[in-house]
Amino acid sequence: MKLGCFDLMKEKNILRILHETLHAEHGSALEMLAACKATSRDNLVYGYFEHAKDEYIHTKTFKKILATRIENTHVEIARNYRFTPIGIIKKGYVDNNGFLIETLKLKDFVAYVYTNELLAKKSFERILKLIKDNKRDFDSILDIMKDELRHHGMAREYFLKYYPNLQPYHLFLYKLRETIKNKTRRIYYKNIEFLEIIFKPLYSLLALLGGYLLLKFNHYHFYRENINLMDISSKSLL
Amino acid sequence: MYIGISAYNHESAIAIVNKNGELLDYCKEESLSRIKGDQSFPKRALKRLIQIHNIDSSIIEKVIFYEKPLSSFLIPLKIASKSLPGSLDFLVHQLRNFKNSSINCFLDLNKFMPGLENKLIYIDHHLSHTLTALLYSKSQENICSIVVDGFGDRSTSTISFINNINNIRELWAAEYPYSLGLFYSTITDFLGFAINEGEYKVMGLSAYGNENSPHARLVKNLIKWNDITKNIDTEMEYFSYHKSVSNSYSEKLTNLLGEPRNPFVPLMPDDKYFQKYADIAKGAQDSVNMILKKIFEHAYNLTNSNKYLFSGGVALNSACLNSLAELSFVDELIVPPSPGDSGAAIGSAFYGYITSNKKPRKILKPSLFPSVFNCNEQLEQVKKIISEKFELISDCHHSALQITSKLIKNGEIIGTIISNSETGPRALGNRSLLCDGLNKQAVDTLNTVIKNRSPFRPTAPAMTIATAKKYYQIKSELKTCYLSMNATCKCIDNNISLDFPVTHIDGTARIQIVEDESILDQLLCILKPMGIEILANSSLNISGDPTCFDLIDSLMVCSLTPLKYLLTDFGLLKKK
Repeated sequence: MKLGCFDLMKEKNILRILHETLHAEHGSALEMLAACKATSRDNLVYGYFEHAKDEYIHTKTFKKILATRIENTHVEIARNYRFTPIGIIKKGYVDNNGFLIETLKLKDFVAYVYTNELLAKKSFERILKLIKDNKRDFDSILDIMKDELRHHGMAREYFLKYYPNLQPYHLFLYKLRETIKNKTRRIYYKNIEFLEIIFKPLYSLLALLGGYLLLKFNHYHFYRENINLMDISSKSLL
Repeated sequence: MYIGISAYNHESAIAIVNKNGELLDYCKEESLSRIKGDQSFPKRALKRLIQIHNIDSSIIEKVIFYEKPLSSFLIPLKIASKSLPGSLDFLVHQLRNFKNSSINCFLDLNKFMPGLENKLIYIDHHLSHTLTALLYSKSQENICSIVVDGFGDRSTSTISFINNINNIRELWAAEYPYSLGLFYSTITDFLGFAINEGEYKVMGLSAYGNENSPHARLVKNLIKWNDITKNIDTEMEYFSYHKSVSNSYSEKLTNLLGEPRNPFVPLMPDDKYFQKYADIAKGAQDSVNMILKKIFEHAYNLTNSNKYLFSGGVALNSACLNSLAELSFVDELIVPPSPGDSGAAIGSAFYGYITSNKKPRKILKPSLFPSVFNCNEQLEQVKKIISEKFELISDCHHSALQITSKLIKNGEIIGTIISNSETGPRALGNRSLLCDGLNKQAVDTLNTVIKNRSPFRPTAPAMTIATAKKYYQIKSELKTCYLSMNATCKCIDNNISLDFPVTHIDGTARIQIVEDESILDQLLCILKPMGIEILANSSLNISGDPTCFDLIDSLMVCSLTPLKYLLTDFGLLKKK
């Protein structure tokens, strides 16, 4: 079946969202696995282990959904949606500075899980609307949403058990904080995209100048033929 | 202490060598981050090694980085500049990613442990490969070293002669962008597999190809050895890796070979286009074999040497080693267990040790299992996971091995997570999935159900040297390579091994000769009276993930796959 221009744009948008979600889910699996390894309390280790396992399964589900939708697409489009594990860092789903458990206090980490699982569920609701035409994918995402809600409940339970001084409204505040953070993050990225458009000609000009300058650079000077490699200065960057 | 670092380009890693010239520990960042091919600054690996060995910054003498960062940053830029304005996007991308390049190592070290950056020195990239390979050789004098990779500092392949450990002279180099490694990666990309990850798949697929097919011939014309200039000639108009961020090949290659493979369509041997892609893979594999032979012949003409070290990413191409060993002048060919960039951290660390000691000293051969770990580290932590999901069948090492052997005899698949981890990408028993190598059903289950690998990829066999000699054409030149599963070998003509499920379609197998006293050796001793002398051995992971490093990783693999048994340092576990 040939897609019209509008349908093609819509399909590309769905593929982009599935591709991003796939990376996000794999990132979550790794975050939870890291949390499992970084904690010592029995229940918490077990809980994070199970959570990581669920996220790995979600990743697999999204891989399958993406692959099914894309296998009949033109190869040049399909190539752009390949999943590579290091894409998780490049896309920012795992921070270059470390996993959340390595950078946050345990309490903040639990609060993060508590709020983000709920936010994830909401974004899955949006995906559901996009793929409602495919019953199998629809059901798979519904199952994932149930898992997200369960994870949210578990984080809440843990929170209230180990931090009894915190009241439910504290959790609401955490949720609000994360929601605002997510919104500002989105604004930040939109802003970056906008700045990209403005500055692209400048970057290109600088790269062009740099490129022509580099043509003058004689790198043959640094060739090593017949040189004892053990004698090359170890302080030199070249 | 001397710390070697490899990072920013391929899998990053840390190696630590002590003042006696011993490799104390080695750790890949991907083992800890669980991100396959993690190339970021190896902060977790460095932190772990410093913690478990109680290393204080005062006892760190030097930190050695595995390449010359400015060379490796500037030379691709200079080459791309020649294609301006077509390469403008590439230049913009590279310049904007300056802070993610290896030049940043100085700042990353400062961030990790202020002061450490002052001890940072840099080593020529191909020298770090050479030194890594040299460590696994008995003799450290009068050997020729051949390094072939994608790109390093300024060149893509080099020939050096090691007069002695302090005198390593470079004699020949192939300059970027003429690169055998990047050629193979481009074909990998064209075949729909991920670069730096799918090259094994191309190697496995090539066995199904026909060398005389039109597609194989077309691919073989893309890269050649020039007998006049004695160098690699690539038809660069078919490639874009040197001037494009998103495409490794140009439209011309698509016009030549037809549509590239859609990465999302599974590639099965009965598919319509399978043969075409297998033929392309065959063409690429034959090109690699042919050019490597030419490089070795040129090395012989330059050095007259009979002993060769071979390293760099292309040395991971185990299918080419057999034909190299057949060259009349090769008496010994050594490939280190981790010939790629991550292993170069080891050579870098030793560079610090060698250059800090004016008197030439012998360097000690590192173990095949240098990454320090013991399951007991995490036993207390995972008590609840084990009690809820597993059953400890045996907590005694001897009886655990006996039960494991019986299970293997009964067609079961066993995961192992024993003591230290392997250096390279190949699991050699301590982080393995094992089953009876002659049980077709078990091997198929291991390969396609547990590992979720493409059915055209073979599973490797592990055996003793005596067993190997009965079934395979073992080459004395490659004896060290067999220990780390680095080379394939052919089955003996008309031998039953041709029908073994661990033998590939082209009648070869990437065998592992087990080391004495290793876990595989112990298992094979028990299995022999039961009639099993060959184990199928694959790495303990799910396809696409790094090999398991610790106990929690292995429990996760058990939980996510049908794998039921796990042999650990504290006994044998069975999934409930």
